[in-house]
Amino acid sequence: MKKINVIGLGNILFGDEGFGVEAVKRLEKECVGFPDTVQFIDGGTQGIYLLDYIESVDALLIYDAIIPSEFDRQVYIYRNDELPAFIHRKMSSHQMGLSELLSVARLHAKVPDDIVLIGVPPKNLELGSGISPVVEKLLREAVDKGKQILTAFLNG
Amino acid sequence: MAEKIVVDPIPRIEGHLRIEAKLDENNVIEDAFSSGTMWRGIEIILKGRDPRDAWAFAERICGVCTTVHALASVRCVEDALGIEVPLNARIIRNLMNATQQTQDHLVHFYHLHALDWVDVVSALKADPKEASRIAQSISPWPKSSPGYFKELQQKLVGFVESGQLGIFSNGYWGHSAYKLPPEVNLIAVAHYLEALDFQKEIVKIHTVFGGKNPHPNYLVGGMACAIDPNRNTAINIEVLSMVKKIIDETITFIEQVYIPDLIAIAGFYKGWLYGGGLGNYLCYGDFPENSIDDASSLLWPRGAILNKDLSTIHDVDPLDLNQVTEEVSHSWYTYSNGDDKGLHPWEGETNPKYTGPKPPFEFLDTDKKYSWLKTPRWKNNPMEVGPLARVLLAYAKGDAMIKDTVDMVLGRLNVGADALYSTLGRTAARGIECLQTAGFMKHFYEQLIDNVKAGDYRTANTELWDPSRWPKEAKGFGYTEAPRGALGHWIHIKDGKIEDYQIVVPSTWNASPRDASGAVGAYESALKGTPMADPEKPLEILRTVHSFDPCLACASHVFDMNGNEIIKVTIV
Repeated sequence: MKKINVIGLGNILFGDEGFGVEAVKRLEKECVGFPDTVQFIDGGTQGIYLLDYIESVDALLIYDAIIPSEFDRQVYIYRNDELPAFIHRKMSSHQMGLSELLSVARLHAKVPDDIVLIGVPPKNLELGSGISPVVEKLLREAVDKGKQILTAFLNG
Repeated sequence: MAEKIVVDPIPRIEGHLRIEAKLDENNVIEDAFSSGTMWRGIEIILKGRDPRDAWAFAERICGVCTTVHALASVRCVEDALGIEVPLNARIIRNLMNATQQTQDHLVHFYHLHALDWVDVVSALKADPKEASRIAQSISPWPKSSPGYFKELQQKLVGFVESGQLGIFSNGYWGHSAYKLPPEVNLIAVAHYLEALDFQKEIVKIHTVFGGKNPHPNYLVGGMACAIDPNRNTAINIEVLSMVKKIIDETITFIEQVYIPDLIAIAGFYKGWLYGGGLGNYLCYGDFPENSIDDASSLLWPRGAILNKDLSTIHDVDPLDLNQVTEEVSHSWYTYSNGDDKGLHPWEGETNPKYTGPKPPFEFLDTDKKYSWLKTPRWKNNPMEVGPLARVLLAYAKGDAMIKDTVDMVLGRLNVGADALYSTLGRTAARGIECLQTAGFMKHFYEQLIDNVKAGDYRTANTELWDPSRWPKEAKGFGYTEAPRGALGHWIHIKDGKIEDYQIVVPSTWNASPRDASGAVGAYESALKGTPMADPEKPLEILRTVHSFDPCLACASHVFDMNGNEIIKVTIV
């Protein structure tokens, strides 16, 4: 059975920064009955400390409000080689972003076979404001797409 | 000739820090200004919330130290409400804290700081056989054959040739301030990668006791985990033996990799003893062996040292309104009764008001307000916090383990105790302390086993869980020694809600701007007098600032959409 991690990234204290964590929370609720080899992780902004969650699986699904805010308000999906340059954005622990984590995984020869990133452009990053109505609307689609991708991973 | 340089942001740290430095005609730093450039507002977010939930918000303010903020937070609520946690909870918290310290120090040394001393590109030129000989002469660590180093070097060459340096991008490779021979550089890079792999194991202890990671569960009144040696669904014998195995491996790694590397690298830099700084050190202490209120039971002691005088240890009382204060004379905040007067956190105010130049700008107006960090002082003194402060205090108090290890390291390097007051001294103190906290992990693990064997499975005290049993109003203080230094949370609870919450984090002490009297903060002081080989490549500034292990994310928050990968160095 394929080992799969679903990781939500971002800081829930800063409005739409919390999109990734919220999406994973909702997706987990809708995936009752999925095998134990699928894990749902609230990754927050833990950077380097997430390395094990990336290196230990066959497939990886990542949610993050990483898309530049001037992009159209829609759900973006990037796969493997399509992972965009803007994943260079730093998160934390310690300013290590997804791209550095993947570069370390490459050095360790432990890159997952499949990597999918689902993201939306954030609308509001104010402290303590929660998810904005615009992003809230996109969450439904982001969760549905994620479920389809997970199902395909499991059947693939 | 350079006169003023700006490094913004400082790379490989948590959060956003800007350093402005004035150089004299010989490129020696004459004066320095430290500015946290993003605003933090956790105090405002917590106002009006349930005090029992505060830890879950507090742990999100930082991408590194989730567990230390959670710990300080539950301790301050328990202090306010008079809740004593059960013995198991105290032990488990100590074990998780020691785990955090150990892992954090290890990651800091190899992944955030080593590259200030280690030239990755030089490692490509190393002779693997000679690297193997050196490695075997300093440590019994088994991964040290010529073949091991050769294979690693080939991997590294492939990595560099691919053009995707990733984690090794943005280094000042080839800088004249790098002093290690290629073989020692190769050993250090090998251990950089080994440590990256190994640190993943250590935090599994947090998953065991915190229920999950990276955001382990804490609980006001104790810990949320169930212990029962005979039940599959609780923390049982099987799980505990896995914890034991991780602890043993951790101790081996620190003893056989970290400490020998530290001594080997430091040996080539003992002529570079800059960066000492203030000479004032502050510790709240941590690792209680008794009630948290009993400061005499702390394995890491509480106290202050002034002017490097180790013969006098000053008592510290974080509840005394005249000891720990924060003023905002050089910070972008206002106080209702004047910005120059320090306020104790229980009287603290958080009214942000930016008065700096409109970005983009060249320089901050450092005569006026120039940082988003407040200015904490202890009895009006600027203080350094962190591993050097803790090691010096323990040394001054005659702690046998610390004294032996410090003397061993100084002896091996053939330098006097004065060498401790330096950038390198701070870096060495972190390693010495890491060896100590790995030992603490074992100590607390054994305590836990003994207590569980005696039949005590209790992990939480829920007597005062219900707010109807709380006083109408209460104030509390929660402390811990985070990896970076003294961390305090102060809470004011009213009618079951948070009326006020103030956090003074370690990096606010160390990165603080000047105070109203003009006295500089710890970074500012440490940078003075440092000669720079090449102001366009400010390696020496990074070295000293990194030695403090800055964590500005909780001192302030950064969100940079475009990922500021390139550090801007402005020279005028």
